[in-house]
Amino acid sequence: MNVRKSRQLAAAVMVVGALTVTTACSSGNSNSGTKPEASKSKVAATAITVGTAADSVGPAIAEPGAKKGGTVTMIDRDDFSHLDPAQVYLNYNSEASLLFTRQLTGYKLQADGTSKLVGDLATDTGTTADGGKTWKFTLKDGVKWQDGTPITSADVKYSVERTFAPFIKSGPTYLQQWLTATDYRAAYPGPYEGKELDAIQTPDAKTVVFAFQDVHPDANFTVAMTGYGVVPKAQDTKEAYDKKPFSSGPYQIAEHVTDKSLDLVRNPNWDPATDPIRNAYPDKWHMEFGVQSQQSTERFIADNGADKTTFSFHNQVHPTFIDKVKNDAALKPRTLEGLTPYVDYYYMNNTRLKDQKVREALLRAFPHQQTRQLQGGTSYGDYATNYMSPTVLGYEANDMYDILKKPEGDPEAAKKLLAEAGATGQTIVYAYNNTPTQQKVTEAIRVGLEKAGFKFVPKPLDAKTYYDAIGLTNNEYDLYWGGWGADWPTGYTSLQPVWDGRAIADGASNYAHTNDEAINKMMDDAVKIADPIAQGKAWAAIDKELQKKAYSIPDVYQRSLSLYGSGLGGVKFDSLFGLQYPLNIYVK
Amino acid sequence: MTNPTKAPEADELGTADTLAPTDAASAPVFRGLSPGKLMWRRFLRDRTGVVSAAIVLLFILIAVCAPLISMIYGKDPGTHYGQEDVTLLTDSGLPTGPNGGISADFWFGVEPGLGRDVFMQLIYGMRTSLFIAFLTSVLTTALGVMIGIAAGYLGGKIDYFIGRVIDILMSFPSQIFLIATMPIVVSLLVASNESQPVWLPFVSVTIVLTLLGWMGLARILRATTLSLREREFIEAAKVTGASPLRIIFKELLPNLWTPILVQSTLALPAFVTAEAGLSYLGVGVGEPTPDWGRMIALAADYLRTDVTFLLFPGLAMVLFVLAFNLLGDSVRDAFDPKTKR
Repeated sequence: MNVRKSRQLAAAVMVVGALTVTTACSSGNSNSGTKPEASKSKVAATAITVGTAADSVGPAIAEPGAKKGGTVTMIDRDDFSHLDPAQVYLNYNSEASLLFTRQLTGYKLQADGTSKLVGDLATDTGTTADGGKTWKFTLKDGVKWQDGTPITSADVKYSVERTFAPFIKSGPTYLQQWLTATDYRAAYPGPYEGKELDAIQTPDAKTVVFAFQDVHPDANFTVAMTGYGVVPKAQDTKEAYDKKPFSSGPYQIAEHVTDKSLDLVRNPNWDPATDPIRNAYPDKWHMEFGVQSQQSTERFIADNGADKTTFSFHNQVHPTFIDKVKNDAALKPRTLEGLTPYVDYYYMNNTRLKDQKVREALLRAFPHQQTRQLQGGTSYGDYATNYMSPTVLGYEANDMYDILKKPEGDPEAAKKLLAEAGATGQTIVYAYNNTPTQQKVTEAIRVGLEKAGFKFVPKPLDAKTYYDAIGLTNNEYDLYWGGWGADWPTGYTSLQPVWDGRAIADGASNYAHTNDEAINKMMDDAVKIADPIAQGKAWAAIDKELQKKAYSIPDVYQRSLSLYGSGLGGVKFDSLFGLQYPLNIYVK
Repeated sequence: MTNPTKAPEADELGTADTLAPTDAASAPVFRGLSPGKLMWRRFLRDRTGVVSAAIVLLFILIAVCAPLISMIYGKDPGTHYGQEDVTLLTDSGLPTGPNGGISADFWFGVEPGLGRDVFMQLIYGMRTSLFIAFLTSVLTTALGVMIGIAAGYLGGKIDYFIGRVIDILMSFPSQIFLIATMPIVVSLLVASNESQPVWLPFVSVTIVLTLLGWMGLARILRATTLSLREREFIEAAKVTGASPLRIIFKELLPNLWTPILVQSTLALPAFVTAEAGLSYLGVGVGEPTPDWGRMIALAADYLRTDVTFLLFPGLAMVLFVLAFNLLGDSVRDAFDPKTKR
């Protein structure tokens, strides 16, 4: 026995010795000087303010050192799924639309990095005399389409009317519901049958008045969504408009080859004096699709040829390269890091997990540190304690379940809670997206939960049908991952769509099936508060209530780590969408 | 490299036992050698074959003794060492030590991400691969032998029917077919709300590989059987009234052992790679069962940042498949020295 052991050891040591020589080039990795728990930068919560009419006057705040000219390349994994404003709801579609679609209001990037809501096509962020039931917007002088015709209030009205059309399926639905009823498609069929929507009035060519059914104090944020961008009646090609929208912004589409490329050239009829948001430094934009994040990371690191003037809206640093990028001083000047508006949750299925003690046990047992490490560590996100993101107005941090103290999970405390509930050995069916990374994350969760005395049953789901499967109200899973980001940075869109019990339906975003009368009531009341600060407080209280009842497991506030080419200046991180921001980019 | 085609000397082939002159005291009788012994001698003279056989045996030994090695080594394949000891991996999951975290504790380094022991993953992964490959080889051989001999001996409509089935199966793009059928086989075998049992991926991979792996051997055996069927000894057996079963098992089968053995030794490494390929594509054996294909797939992502992690499963796989293929060649040469290559 002994002899064999020592021989085996000797052989193994020899093999190792030989291999060490061959791989001498691979050195160890280190944590770039910071503790794993510490996050990189403090988040400026409530960074968004509402600007005045003076703030809404163009031109945009110039980028120091910027000059005009040149072509900027953008590489990304996927083509924009939609370009028709009414269909745009995804963040990277919105980010690209900034270059050719304008809305009534928009977010102006300040010199200090914060954002301010200002009038884009409108002279200011709108006025309301009755606490938010009717909103009046006045259009600026000199705003034009790409063919030189002026943008009128009739265009704005038409743009909202066409969001009711049956072929518009993927855009936001706030205005439609507020103007008519929850089942807005039954109330108004869209403008194509010749009917107009009376809830929107256009007293003259410059004025639009929205008359809502109820009070909506933050409607000025709603009309900043790309989904409510303008579309001209004369150029509306219905479904085909999605491929090549007509420009109101600084650039117009020259060519769009689906899933391959999109080329933009200057729009000669755009007047910078009317636009407080957009700088337009490059002459051309060339966008290429089909580049995976591993590929784009390698290209940005190599920084060769045309890649020098390249950036990426959505592709982040591939997780395996994170240490390399963070430790490379040469890459530091062209690395962007920031907090996105997304919060990742592990939704508990509240139709199956009815015992609060069991849910608390799950919360305490969950191995946040292990799962985060598998997905990129601190660059993946900050440990979340709340349901609302720190980027949302009114956010109040509180660590009710000691997640920050024990991010690796507290199996002892969980065990005790399970014993109290008399549910030791409780089966947890965990559904996951069957990818190599998620398989490993599932392994980490399995070990964490089994330590706490749960029986863990993993269920792999196909990536394509993942959301469909967990979206069924009668699904047979107890726990599943999902993320949510606010549509505009107030508590309403951050919490209501996900945690309002009346929003439970197949495919709806209330994946946790929480239906708490008290919370529903609190939401109804919070919406009606006119003062943004007081409203923020009300949403923070709802957030706290959700935490108290342990309805789900907030995992992380998502972060983003991305690179761009060395030949570009003014590339910034857009914390509203969590992407790279195109409007200040110039070629050096 | 191998040099088995040298025309063998008559006495070397054992027509007379000149190799043992000390035996002269006992009567110098003419001693013939059985075909098996002849083959064994030829095989022993083939150095490549012997070395390959030694490597293959070593691999099999390691795989069989994996739990024992795990006991002596003091680690197991399932524990997430890197997540229990935060000094082993960086914040984003790369090993902190040089060369993929190779140290006295972790001989082959630490797996990025979950922080499992690479050495343990490797030898337990070998168990998975070998188990599936062996099982599949045995099953495909059995299927191939049965169907091949049946087609060749019975002939006629049955032969035609089997031949067309083989044609259809062989014209399938097997890799694509495997990817498409794996999830279906799994969903057929697992209940909707129970944990997937550990044996299930083994069984489903084996079933899928077997279904698409038996045709080659069947075709070869059919052809050989067809030619044997017309030979005198079969005719004689028929005339003496032997039953078809007796003819198949007692007369035909003994003459078919050579192609069967050669084909199945060559099939095994092919199944090892096929199994790894399935796992690489994400339809094979899943977590937490250690598996070579999945290790290589994961390691490919870390090619730039942790190349050591690719090295061990890659080398092990190349070495094993190469050794087994060379062994297969040597076995064929030993059985059938007339084949020129």
